[in-house]
Order: sequence, then C-alpha cells, then structure tokens
Amino acid sequence: MTEPNRHPDSDEAWSDLLSQLARQPPAQPRPFFYGRVQARLAAQAAAEKPLVPGWLRRPAFAALLAALVLSLPGDGAAVGAAREAAGRAGESAPHLLPR
Amino acid sequence: MPFAPEACAELAKPLAADAETDLVAQLQQGSEAAFRTLVERYQDRIYQVILSLLRNPEEAEDVAQEVFVEVHQTIGRFRGEAALSTWLYRLATSRALKSLRRARTQKRFAFFTSLLGFGNEVLHEAPTHAHPQALLEGQQQLGLLLDHIARLPDQQRVAFTLRHEQELSYEQIAAVLHTTVPAVESLLFRARKTLRQHLQPHFRHD
Repeated sequence: MTEPNRHPDSDEAWSDLLSQLARQPPAQPRPFFYGRVQARLAAQAAAEKPLVPGWLRRPAFAALLAALVLSLPGDGAAVGAAREAAGRAGESAPHLLPR
Repeated sequence: MPFAPEACAELAKPLAADAETDLVAQLQQGSEAAFRTLVERYQDRIYQVILSLLRNPEEAEDVAQEVFVEVHQTIGRFRGEAALSTWLYRLATSRALKSLRRARTQKRFAFFTSLLGFGNEVLHEAPTHAHPQALLEGQQQLGLLLDHIARLPDQQRVAFTLRHEQELSYEQIAAVLHTTVPAVESLLFRARKTLRQHLQPHFRHD
C-alpha cells in the first residue's frame, strides 16, 4: 500500500516528524514499581478474603445452620449439668416446696 | 528522564523461546522470583506503550500496575499460543483503551450534569502528557502530531503507536490486535493519511 502523493518537501517533513516520534526519550515508571505492584496484589487479596467460609455464604447452608442452632435445647443442657454436679456432691436436686 | 541506552537495548531483545517457556512455567507454579523477573523485564515497555496511548504518567502507571496484577491472576490460563510479550502488549493496549473510554464517558457525564446544573464544578481538560522533547525544543509539529494521534479511532491509534513509537513489526502488531497483516497495513494507511491531512498546512508554512 503506498502513501498518497505529496509534495517531496512534505514527504521529507513527514519522515522527519516520524523519526522524531520514534526517537523520543523512553519513559520509565517511577522507581520501586515492582513494590507497588506487590502492594496492589496484597490489597486485592485482602479485599477478596472472605470473613466467613464460602459454604456459609450460601443461603441454603446459612438457613440450615440457623435452624440447627435454634433447635438446640439450651436450657435442658444447663439443667442436666446442674443435676449431675449436685448428685456428685451428695445432694438431691432442688425441687419445689409443696403449697 | 534518565535514559540508559544499554538497558533499553537489553530490554528490546526478544526473550529466547526456551527462557520464555521456563519463565511462564515458573510463573504458573506461583514463583514470586519469576514474577519479579517478568515485571522488571517488561515494566518499561508496558509503561511506555500505555503512556503513548494515555499521555498521562499517573494514569499510565496505574494501568501498568493493573496489567501486571492481571498477569499474576491469569497466568494459569496462558497457553503460549502467542509470545509472552504479545500477550502483555495485548493486555496493556486493551486496558489503556478501556481507561480512555472510561475517561471519555466521565467527561461526557460531567458535561451533561453541568448542563443540567447538577454540578457546580468547573469543567476543564485533563492535563495531558506534554512531550518532553516538544517542551524542550519547542517542536510544535511534534506536539501537533501527538494531539492528532490522540484523536484517531482506537484501532488506528494503537496500530500507529505500536508501529511508530514502539517500532513493532507488522506481524507483531497483527498478533497484538488479533488481526491480519493486511488489516494492520490498512489501519496504518488510514492513520497516516488522516494525520498527514491535518499536518499538511503546517509543512507548507515551514
């Protein structure tokens, strides 16, 4: 493919301009570029690290876990432990006085 | 800006195929030393091509960092169909163009919000990277050329920059742009024609 016909002077000026463009001083990033890339990677990794496990972030698993926690008999376990402790101490378990 | 010709000559050397394969293998195994080698070997070239497209050192640095972060995260998917440098240039040009598009969208949005009176901030042109040589020697033609390169359509702009600033071959540009050599020739022909049309009056008056 050829360039459009131009005046020879303009061809020369165009070539000079292109060679000036190619001769421009090569730019460089600021010093310690690698350190900044590493810092960026670390920041992204920290941002992506989840606070809760992945399976827990799924609604079905989270709901199941919540249902399991709610169904645990918290009071019964505490009373049972108290009875065992009292039995070891040779006392009878406390009971209500008759009216 | 400091310039070490020996260092640039070293960087300009293509990485031998074996060395490149080794480096990629180490990167895929998660070697931090290999990643450091890659960054230090390619950072100048990647920064230069991005700076050529964006003309803003801060944005160019930011986008160059994004490119290497993307390399770190996606090197596992690199299958070696293209040279490592081609892949890096591809990431760099696509990220630079994305950044340009985002900046244009923000500019348009700011313009419309200012028309509607939502924002009271003064609209101004983002500072552009004035060419150091043009500044030092007052070469207005070079500055003018850079201004008109910035107005070319994206593909023509990338092809012209890779050819005339990074001095890549037509084959390399075709690989970076995912196209054919004749398509690159066509892009360059149209870019040169447009640029010469704009610069012609300035040649005549000199």
